[in-house]
Amino acid sequence: MIATKSEKLKMALTSTPMILLYVIVVFCVVAAIRQPAFISPATAINLARAGIFTMCFAICEMVVIISGGIDVSFPAIGCVAMYVPMYLNYHGMAPDNPLFFFALAMFIGLVFGILNGVLVSYLKLPPLIATLATSSIASGGLVMILGTREFTVLPDSLQALYEVNMITYADPATGFTYPLTVLFLVPVILCIAVALVLKFTMLGRGLYAIGGDANAARIAGFNVRRLQFIAYIFCGVMTGATAMMYTTLMHSSTTTAIMGEEMIIIAACVVGGCRLTGGHGNVGGTVLGVLLITLVQNNLNMLGIPTCWQTFAVGLVLLLGAIMTSIQAKRQASLGKV
Amino acid sequence: MSAKENRLTAGRKGLPGIGQDTHVLTIIGLMILVCIIMLLLRPEAYFTGLNLRSMIFQFPEYGILALGMMACMIAGGIDLSLVGIMNFTGVLAALIVKNMVIIENGEVTNPAMVVPAVVLACAVAIAVGAACGAFNGFIIGYFQLPAMLVTLCGLQLYTGLAYGITGGPAINGMCDAFKNIANGNVPGTPIPWVLVIFIAVLAVVVFIMKCTVFGHEIYFLGSNAKAAMYSGINTLKVTIMTYMFSGILGGISGILITSHLNSAKSSNGSTYTLLSLLIVVLGGVHPDGGKGRVVGVVLAVLLLQMIANAFGLMHMSDNAKTFANGCLLIAALVLSVVLDKRAAKKAAAAS
Amino acid sequence: MSEEVFLKLEGIKKSFGGVHALKGVDLEIRKGEIHCLAGENGCGKSTLIKAISGVHNADEGSIWIDGEKVEKMKPMDAINRGIQVIYQDFAVFPNLTVAENIALNGELKNKVKFVNWKQIHETAAKAMEQVGANIDPDVKLERLSVANKQMVAICRAIINDAKLLILDEPTTALTAREVDKLWDIVRGLKKKGIAVMIVNHKLDEIYRIADRLTILRNGAYVSSGPISEYDQARFTRDMTGHDVSEDKYHPAAQEEEILRVEHLTRKGAFEDVSFTLNKGDVLGLTGLLGSGRGEIGEALFGIAPADSGKVVLNGKEITIKSVADAMANDIGYVPEDRLTQGLFMERSIQDNTIASSIRRYMKGGRLDEQAMEDVTRHWIDEIGIVAPSPKPAVRTLSGGNAQKVVIAKWLNTEPKLFILDGPTVGVDVGAKAEIHAILHNLAQKGIGIIVISDDLPELVQNCNKIVVMRDGKVAAAIDNNIDEISLSNLLIGANEEEVEQK
Repeated sequence: MIATKSEKLKMALTSTPMILLYVIVVFCVVAAIRQPAFISPATAINLARAGIFTMCFAICEMVVIISGGIDVSFPAIGCVAMYVPMYLNYHGMAPDNPLFFFALAMFIGLVFGILNGVLVSYLKLPPLIATLATSSIASGGLVMILGTREFTVLPDSLQALYEVNMITYADPATGFTYPLTVLFLVPVILCIAVALVLKFTMLGRGLYAIGGDANAARIAGFNVRRLQFIAYIFCGVMTGATAMMYTTLMHSSTTTAIMGEEMIIIAACVVGGCRLTGGHGNVGGTVLGVLLITLVQNNLNMLGIPTCWQTFAVGLVLLLGAIMTSIQAKRQASLGKV
Repeated sequence: MSAKENRLTAGRKGLPGIGQDTHVLTIIGLMILVCIIMLLLRPEAYFTGLNLRSMIFQFPEYGILALGMMACMIAGGIDLSLVGIMNFTGVLAALIVKNMVIIENGEVTNPAMVVPAVVLACAVAIAVGAACGAFNGFIIGYFQLPAMLVTLCGLQLYTGLAYGITGGPAINGMCDAFKNIANGNVPGTPIPWVLVIFIAVLAVVVFIMKCTVFGHEIYFLGSNAKAAMYSGINTLKVTIMTYMFSGILGGISGILITSHLNSAKSSNGSTYTLLSLLIVVLGGVHPDGGKGRVVGVVLAVLLLQMIANAFGLMHMSDNAKTFANGCLLIAALVLSVVLDKRAAKKAAAAS
Repeated sequence: MSEEVFLKLEGIKKSFGGVHALKGVDLEIRKGEIHCLAGENGCGKSTLIKAISGVHNADEGSIWIDGEKVEKMKPMDAINRGIQVIYQDFAVFPNLTVAENIALNGELKNKVKFVNWKQIHETAAKAMEQVGANIDPDVKLERLSVANKQMVAICRAIINDAKLLILDEPTTALTAREVDKLWDIVRGLKKKGIAVMIVNHKLDEIYRIADRLTILRNGAYVSSGPISEYDQARFTRDMTGHDVSEDKYHPAAQEEEILRVEHLTRKGAFEDVSFTLNKGDVLGLTGLLGSGRGEIGEALFGIAPADSGKVVLNGKEITIKSVADAMANDIGYVPEDRLTQGLFMERSIQDNTIASSIRRYMKGGRLDEQAMEDVTRHWIDEIGIVAPSPKPAVRTLSGGNAQKVVIAKWLNTEPKLFILDGPTVGVDVGAKAEIHAILHNLAQKGIGIIVISDDLPELVQNCNKIVVMRDGKVAAAIDNNIDEISLSNLLIGANEEEVEQK
């Protein structure tokens, strides 16, 4: 049975990313009707700024989910990675060099990534529980050893990095300026790179393969352990880098700065078409998922909903996203076998 | 685990209760270890009635959460939304008490309303907990979604509801009667109410898991959901009931923590998810479902309270406790993986 | 067919933890032949495949591939020497496309780092052309039927220069037409000089395809030779170690009707199915996969209810829309796949036995532990489950004993109609006979017994009525005065004219 063209078109128009796109468009239209100022470059720049971290974290999480795992430890790892360099700098034990800060943050991420990898791929622990344990080890250990403090003054080199902007938009009506940092390029490059790796390398296809059927992957000759390991290490390292970007852009480094983010990130991935059972998901869908979640997080008040309902709204989006995956899967099954 | 201990457990196989599985023995061993360490370090502070009392006031709220987690995990799922249910129901209970019992200058102006208010608050908390749980169960069972995803989503939803209702700040200053649930004694005795509540809840949970059809169906669902369906068990109904059961326990915890802290907000007890998972895994409940016993879980609750208390007496921070709990969780998981492997090897050799 | 030997095994022995899975097996596979490996379940077929494919290394004995003696072979070595195995679950990736599934392993073997999608499509197209498959290469594998998944697995195997293709029970999940197509492909591969080893234990299928045959029993080599040297009697004797039993189940005819099914229809599965079952009858329901045989059982048990039709049980018309309906009407059902559908492997025999009847043991608000244990002991004695007590996990039992536990589970519900799908799959000979005796006994007591099976000798010997399904319709309703070969022809339907001409 070969599907006719119109059937194929119908399938494409009702696929997960397209539905996501409709929701985003509806959201924007409603926001624009209620608040015409929504349609402005300023909104776009704000969204882009707000989405930088979400995007980077979501890509990391997506890679882990595709491989059939889950990582809820990255907020804690990120906190360690942003806190330790600032702590060293504050005590005059670190050179004032952005490369050093980023390298140290990524190294910390690597260490915890290796821990996660060992727990999940070598000891075969359930990923959720194992990374939850890593999370408490990271955040508990951090405060236990280094105490809590808030660093709000950036070292000069990071301050200099903060001030590099790609474009600056000045609102003619209010005179406010909206700069877009050069660090915005990081998620863009990351997305492109990950998309290429996933699509065009055996490493990427291997991640899909082990997420689809780990046993079949083993028989085919994939090194399942190594691939899982790589996914967690990638997640750890990129989390470190993203956390340092967070400190740079938000002028803040605390032991709990991004704790709790995992919910939003997992929501973005699931809404974007990743299945927690593994093997499904792609960069395009995840970008749309992040866009929707960022819109909900930052522009809910434009729909007339008070911001204190934001957590609930994210939960609702996640719920609907999850139900949609289930309905899509059932629909797929009802189409019959080819 | 040594071969000797293994022989010990094998030898006792006929006996019911304690001694059947390695987890129980491990926990008892660790309890003795904690006692020995504290005997060497701070015997004068640890082994006192006062300290025992302070322990009793702390563990019931998360101990009850852990029992809910246990039921879901035995059924082959997981309930990550428990802390959300706890805070949501706690906020509702606090609101009811606060609005029904008016306090001016530290005096209750309408004492007649106190008992109805507290009773209503508890009833609403339990009912809402049940509804939240049933919602989780329905989504999991009807849409065939992973429990992990649905309950994560539930955590976000219920926390969001609590946050939306309170608007952020905590609700403080409930009347003494409500405060007494978790802080007072049974009148005329030195026995804390929480202990009575915990034992009552525990008795109900033990009865349900061991002596009812529903309890057995939880085990059936967890060991093989498909076979359960082919055996004529209504799996959707059992899934809904399991999560509802867990939600009710979350509601009871919500009352206890709100009363204990005399404050309700959306972010209380954020470490309890990890803690209840740790308790359940340490207590020998298998993460894949189908296996686990209440006795192990209760012993794990007591062990963790002993450890937490020891940490407190040694003036170590909560963060050190979090760190230690993380390490313990990994150790417990590794233990269960090792035990599984050994059992598999034994089975292979036997067949 | 050349006489040149591709693979030769001599005295292969393998044991696991003191248990001898293989006790000295010889096997010889010639280039470009279709060789059948037959034997009952548990005879060591799968261990032998694993020894050939390098998953296990034999304890003793030697393996020659293409005249060269190989030792300490790893899975990759076997693949490099042209040995490809297609397991029963095919080991394919549901989330990847057809093209990728076909080409990925080859890319992996060549240690490629980057993926060339154009080349993947070319490879896939070439492979599909070779076997004559026509599947959209961009469809994800999870959407394919079992037969097409198998096709993809075959395509994947042959592009890697396969010289010997091993198919593990390839026909169990295929419909009649799909089996025909598979045999065409296998013959095509033979013409290309590829040897094919098929693991199978169905005589009729073996006759249609194999050149030569090797039979194993209890991990030991029994016999080997061209297919023409085997007749049905020898085949059965070599497989089971017994002569063909001529005892057939012939109950005294009774008029009392137990079950009547009229015009039962479920769209896409079966239509207009009618049959009756009298007291004492054991009704066999057979047909190839996809003929609707299993679906009728699922409809009567309410798992996939029928759309229309009438079911009369003990003179009362009943409606079955769910499993609960079926159980309320005292219908029991032993599912096809014991491991995933029938048993709680980690739970005790007692828990498994009372799983479907647990509500009876609520006494005074709590479950009566003692009564549950007693009833389990009763069934252990009654149907001869070999177990020391009701407490051990079912995991520790053998296939036959485990199946008896499933039967006990339903007998404990006191069914009036008992449906068994594949009741003796994976059960050793002794337990098989015991299970049949249990069923005959139940039938005599007035319980309606329906046995759904594709094991034709089993049906002919144990069912006094046989309903043959073909393409969702009843092709024939006969008694058991029929031999397996003509029954087999009825199943396929294709040879009907030839049969008539004869």
